Amino acid sequence: MSSSLSKLLALLFAFALVGAACGGSSDEATDDSGGDDAAQTDDAATDDSAADDGDTVDLTQGGGVLAAVQARGTLNCGVSGAAVAFSFVEADGSVNGIDADYCRAVAAAVLGDSEAVNFTNLTAAERFAAVQAGEVDVLMRNSTWTQSRDTEVGMDFGPTTYYDGQQLMARAADGFSNSSEVAEIDGAVVCTNAGTTTETNVSELAGELGIAITLQTFEDYNQVVDAFIAGTCDVITTDGSGLVGRKAQQQPEGEEWVIFPAAPFSKEPLGPVYAQNDSQWADVVNWVVYATVIADESGVTSSTVDDALTGDNAEMVRLLGGEGELQTKMGLSADAFYNVISQVGNYDEIFARNLNPVGLERAGSANARWNEGGLIYAPPAR
Amino acid sequence: MTDLSISHDLTEALAETSLAPKQAAHSPQEWAKQNLFSSVSNTIQTLLFGFILVLILQWILGLIFADERDWHAVTTNMRLLFTNNYPASQYGRIWFTFGALLSTAMLTVAAFRYFPTFTVRKILINITGTGAFIALVGALAPISTTPRLVMLAVGAVIMAAAGMAVNNRPDGDEAAVSLTAVLLVVAAAVLATIWFVPFGNDRLINLEAVLEPGTILLETKLWLSLMVGVTVVAYFAGRALAGVLPESPFKQAMVGWWILGPAFLIFLVIRDPAFDYGYVFTVDIPIALVFGLGGGALLYFLARPGNEALARAVGVGILAVCALTFILGATGSVSMLQKIRLTILALGLVALLAPTFSGEPRVRRNFAYAWIGAIAISHWLITAINTPSTLELRADSFLGGFMISITLGYYVMLASFPMGVLMSLARTSKMPLFRVMSTIYIESVRGIPLIVILFFFDNLLNLFLPNGMSVSKIAGVFIGYTLFSAAYMAENIRGGLQSVRSGQFEASDALGLTTLQRTVFIILPQALRVSIPNLVGQAIATFKETSLVSIIGAFDILYIARNVVPGQTAFIGHSIAPMLFVSLVYWIFAYSMSRASRTLETKLGVGAR
Repeated sequence: MSSSLSKLLALLFAFALVGAACGGSSDEATDDSGGDDAAQTDDAATDDSAADDGDTVDLTQGGGVLAAVQARGTLNCGVSGAAVAFSFVEADGSVNGIDADYCRAVAAAVLGDSEAVNFTNLTAAERFAAVQAGEVDVLMRNSTWTQSRDTEVGMDFGPTTYYDGQQLMARAADGFSNSSEVAEIDGAVVCTNAGTTTETNVSELAGELGIAITLQTFEDYNQVVDAFIAGTCDVITTDGSGLVGRKAQQQPEGEEWVIFPAAPFSKEPLGPVYAQNDSQWADVVNWVVYATVIADESGVTSSTVDDALTGDNAEMVRLLGGEGELQTKMGLSADAFYNVISQVGNYDEIFARNLNPVGLERAGSANARWNEGGLIYAPPAR
Repeated sequence: MTDLSISHDLTEALAETSLAPKQAAHSPQEWAKQNLFSSVSNTIQTLLFGFILVLILQWILGLIFADERDWHAVTTNMRLLFTNNYPASQYGRIWFTFGALLSTAMLTVAAFRYFPTFTVRKILINITGTGAFIALVGALAPISTTPRLVMLAVGAVIMAAAGMAVNNRPDGDEAAVSLTAVLLVVAAAVLATIWFVPFGNDRLINLEAVLEPGTILLETKLWLSLMVGVTVVAYFAGRALAGVLPESPFKQAMVGWWILGPAFLIFLVIRDPAFDYGYVFTVDIPIALVFGLGGGALLYFLARPGNEALARAVGVGILAVCALTFILGATGSVSMLQKIRLTILALGLVALLAPTFSGEPRVRRNFAYAWIGAIAISHWLITAINTPSTLELRADSFLGGFMISITLGYYVMLASFPMGVLMSLARTSKMPLFRVMSTIYIESVRGIPLIVILFFFDNLLNLFLPNGMSVSKIAGVFIGYTLFSAAYMAENIRGGLQSVRSGQFEASDALGLTTLQRTVFIILPQALRVSIPNLVGQAIATFKETSLVSIIGAFDILYIARNVVPGQTAFIGHSIAPMLFVSLVYWIFAYSMSRASRTLETKLGVGAR
């Protein structure tokens, strides 16, 4: 008995030691972000390998995301991976969509290579935590810019890349048209996803207008659309971009779906999100977006960017690095935005490539150019 | 450890099953009369439940053949579903792994001398049933007239031909074909299917799914043919080896390879670490050699009879040194590789075990060899895991799709098994401290939902690790899931332990066996044998529940089918076709596991007492 007791004590002692050691902090780097696929219990305590990774964390926390990204050589970009036209995984594993293209644009500006992006797929629940923890350098995950998100938690929002807003979709056969008003859905069965702001928005609006609707919610949006097709729902509601895509792809033959009201009843400005209090990095991301907008205003596309570099438009010449020090003062190379436009394209190209295939048009929407009645506007490059 | 239940001698079990009375052979008509329409109530039941079954089948077929079902969403996304975004240029690695697993399966069949025969009668009856099923599907599915007639005709012809052949077999017909013949026929059928059936191949051109006529893609065809070839060659090689090698080492080698092989395939072949060989040869290998050989020699010495007291002293001494390295590391005065510290810790703990293994030189040698082997494998794995991968991945993990489900399910089961055994032993032990600790652990883990545990290990585990040490998402999920599964495993095994009669304990005590010997050689083999159905049930559940990893952002096959494919511009909203396909994949694996378990149960004679 005494021998087994001593063995037991020795074991307990050992566990206590391990516990103590884990509780304490060891000064040396034992992690390796290169192989973040499995448990990492070991790595060289040699100085150089400690430098690769240990420093990354410090830089992220110390306010130098730009330097960290440049040292790492890839941009960690948070996307959804399952959002139609915004960021989705293609059959060959590549990530496409307007959000994915803006990730590529940032990589092109910072690293000169639009493919140097490490896409991290994030669920809606974990996206902001990933930004705050520095797991991703920038979040491009169709996230709405709201006051509470901007102010309460440690992150900032960049310029809006897509102005979305909640709308309704119903069948033309039920007497609805593109010019219908929200009040006309009185008495209808309205379906949407459970637990989202779309649910709150539509019920608040119904209360405001004094109409009675039956709200039915589903776990995910695919089920909502399936229920609409099956006739369970008279009206479905979500952000306009989601409705247009479904109408283009899933409207059965011989039936016409209409989207209304013309002006959405909620504001959903979607854009990049990054960690708070790093102005240098915020400037980089913001100006990548602005550069695509300015290029669109000046009509410079990926195919004409070489001409613009030596052309007459002085703003474009400055922006593309033909003269001046606008980019180098930001910590980027002079040709940073040249790389963005030549490798990814201007705002219009990005929009057309990703959103036109699902039926979303720029003309006449809030995403048109500011001088054509839209909201897409950028400060001047000088 | 894990092969205890498998390495049971099966001649005895076979003798037992052959005692069962022989069933008289019947023609299909006779069988139906006796079993389905024997009485009025039986006939009513048959018709009623047959009608319900037909309705269910019709509903399922309606789902599958519905007009709006776009099966291109599945066929174009095959690679995504199985391996997520594993780079296409490196896809040979996936095929290599697949081939390695297939040949391992064949070698295992040979090593365990599992060469069943299949009676011709039974095969013909199965073919008749298949024909009937084809005809039924043809009759019920919502398809146009021509394919319906074709299916009805094909089904009827198969049914009639096979049914007639059954009727023509003489009574008491025992003619059978061997596994070899069945394997060759299946291989030929697979080859013929992939080379000659015009499935067509899908590809996306300008966001439109285009079906090109002809057979499947040539590259896929060649790889699949190679897989069939590898399987057949491995089978014959295994049979040849089984004739040459002694039975027990061959079996042990196969069991060992099932435990380690997949880890090697994942971390060496699929992940392809970019080893810095200079560093590996100057640092990693010398460390492993010093600890492996030095530790082995030390343990060999400590396990000598008469050295028990010394062994305990040395063990405690090593642990003290280990503690010192942790403390000095924490204060920053001595820098040392984390893996050296952990190895010292392991050596200290194993040195304490040495007295248990003391005995004649052969036992001690095996003890030392086990240490050397464990060091070699663990150091290799630690090095491989911490070396950056050469894969050009633009995502966070090289594991994805079905690959993540099967890997996670397999290793969670494997890792939670020993933990479950230890905890069930602790819970049934006489030592109150162990019993209480184990009970508290099991009951608290069983009281927490798996999702909470996964969230915890995804978000919070890294906060509890020493500074600079981190685990990835998948590793965190693996650890959390293993701890969760171990609690359930412990309860399943405890059920088995309780079925072992007290006479077994008394008899082994009377023979003078130590507690360890009694547990390992007498109690556990009987307990595990009884637990097989429960353990397999748990294995299936574990495998299926891996789909929960999607909540922490890992793309497993279900998440891809449900969210990623419907998010693609070409297939907006098409989630039902991929989900039906995923159900089929899960079903094939779960059903195979349950079949394997039934075979094992028959071999071990579970329930035949």
